[in-house]
Amino acid sequence: MLQITDLHAAIDNKPILLGLNLTVNAGEVHAIMGPNASGKSTLSHVLAGKDGYEVTQGSIVYKGQNLLELPTEERARQGIFLAMQYPVELPGVNNMVFLRESLNAIRRARGESDIDAVAFLRLVKEKARLVHLDEKLLKRSVNTGFSGGEKKRNEILQMALLEPALAILDETDSGLDIDALRVVAEGVNALRSPQRAMIVVTHYQRLLDYIEPDYVHVLANGKIIRSGTKQLARELEEKGYGWITGGAAA
Amino acid sequence: MNMSETGRQWLHNLITQGQILPDQQLDWLDQNRQAAWQQMQSFELPDRKQEAWRYTSIDRLIKYNFLHTSELSEILPGTEIGEWILPDNSSYRLVFINGHCVPRLCNIQGLPRNVAIGCLRASMSTDGEVIRHYLSNPLFKQSSSTARDLFAALNTAYMDDGLFVHIPKNAALDRPIEVLHLNLAMDNELLILPRHLVVIDEGASATLIERYVSQGNHAYFSNNACDIFVNGNARLSHYRIQDESAQSHHLGRVNILQGADSNYKGVYLALGGSWSRCDIDARFSGKGAHCDIIGLYTVNAKQLTDFHLNVLHNHAHCSSRENFRGIIAGSGRAVFDGRIVVEKHAQKTDAQLTNKNLLLSLDAEVDTKPQLEIYADDVKCSHGTTVGQIDPKQVFYIRSRGIDEAMAKKMLCLGFAGEIFDQLDLPEVRSFVEQRVQNNLFAPQGQDVH
Repeated sequence: MLQITDLHAAIDNKPILLGLNLTVNAGEVHAIMGPNASGKSTLSHVLAGKDGYEVTQGSIVYKGQNLLELPTEERARQGIFLAMQYPVELPGVNNMVFLRESLNAIRRARGESDIDAVAFLRLVKEKARLVHLDEKLLKRSVNTGFSGGEKKRNEILQMALLEPALAILDETDSGLDIDALRVVAEGVNALRSPQRAMIVVTHYQRLLDYIEPDYVHVLANGKIIRSGTKQLARELEEKGYGWITGGAAA
Repeated sequence: MNMSETGRQWLHNLITQGQILPDQQLDWLDQNRQAAWQQMQSFELPDRKQEAWRYTSIDRLIKYNFLHTSELSEILPGTEIGEWILPDNSSYRLVFINGHCVPRLCNIQGLPRNVAIGCLRASMSTDGEVIRHYLSNPLFKQSSSTARDLFAALNTAYMDDGLFVHIPKNAALDRPIEVLHLNLAMDNELLILPRHLVVIDEGASATLIERYVSQGNHAYFSNNACDIFVNGNARLSHYRIQDESAQSHHLGRVNILQGADSNYKGVYLALGGSWSRCDIDARFSGKGAHCDIIGLYTVNAKQLTDFHLNVLHNHAHCSSRENFRGIIAGSGRAVFDGRIVVEKHAQKTDAQLTNKNLLLSLDAEVDTKPQLEIYADDVKCSHGTTVGQIDPKQVFYIRSRGIDEAMAKKMLCLGFAGEIFDQLDLPEVRSFVEQRVQNNLFAPQGQDVH
């Protein structure tokens, strides 16, 4: 589904990714772990097509196409979803209207017709229950005044609604209390399927107790320096990143 | 000829070439007109050296030879007003074309006895005492209407027709009063001088919806004035929507005097026009009153929109909220000047002034000037102003959910305006305004509207 080959990316002429390779197949869950400033968020943003990142070398092929040629919205329509580390507040933009507009944009790209209001309401309520999101938040402005946990649950709600082929979770666990972490993880697990791939980016092993990955990769200094199974995550937790990066990063 | 000579000549033409006003044989009216006429001779033409006109040049106005007419020469039989009015029988409706009431388009069926809604010209004979009484209110005279500047004096000198509303004591009007000010600009450069008077007596309440719209593509200049009295414990919700053609010139004056414990809510929307300015002046005649003045302006290519607010807290225990938002696109220009004055004896005043602006292009410009002048020592007052652009992080977030960039920006703009839309209690008015904002800001680029 996704092949990243020798990816080099820079922001403001500062190189961040320095030859990253990663292959993800349908049905797999990959965890990407790494110390701060290793390039984890850069990878997420480059995959989603955020402005400001320059790919200087290498390629990303998604479902047989050159992903780097597609604008952000087109990537989303083709099934890429990024659950953001810091979900943005959209004051005045009604959450329900936003979710519906988004779902319809993606349905149109799939050749489906717009969802009718009644069916949408039923669907969105069902998904809100899945992530324990208070229905009142659906009527509010997107993320505006939401707590940290509510914002992350709103991200997973969107993911559940849009049913992406490739979901990238960028530090979805950061700042969550234990209940919220469990709820978010349950939401993610409910979406695991043989057709869907996931990339779970995290600093901590804890999330992986809840979302069990098929593969674990360690990203440091812009490259994947070690890959393994979930056992690798445990070892990292015990020994720290210094064990693998040569002591430079904690 | 230099600019000031051009201006002098323009002014001379403006005041000498108009039609003779009908003689109402009312001494007080003649006196008011004549006094204004006298004042007009002494006023200078506004220019940018005057603080109140610093950011708003009248150069665009003096390019035209506007000509006043006191009669409606012709109403086109095909004049369609359907798109601008509420469904039949959901309001008491008055329609003014070029400042004059057109009875066949009005509908005030079922109006309760004692409530007067009509045109000022006819009401001068039926309700002359009420009109005379309010227009000569001394508290009011010093503030505005006649005394402020040349254009205000011009309006009074030609005071003849416009809206007249009088809600008697303790009456609660069951439907909104809807007033359509349609400016038909079919040929010559018209000068339109409507004069409105709205009186809500003690304990009474009403809703007033005014729309200024236009048909035709010729330039015109509407120099209108509206005096509003919300007496003790009375309530008025006032929606004023200015949505005129790209050739229109609009100078509006709204003067509000609130009695003790009264409530005034004014929602001011400036959505279209070549050159438009609205001066709102609010003051109190008793304690415990509250006023909300809320507004939205959307300004696109080559348009200029100006709001001047002047709220005078001259009695204790009054509160006011002034909250204006603006979206400026293309090479549009906006001016916001909001001033709150708290006099020495107006203790326990609670006043907040907010102005937020969103600039959609590098050429867009806004001059915003909030001012608090506080002479009392026990008050709660604040002001805040922001000027910003659309946040690329927000656009990215929306696009990452499959929505294209143009739609993302549209959603953010409408979201920015949402706080003001939420103040439009009538669903028909709200959807009309939302549609008009979208058309004004986005239609020229030819994007579809969902």
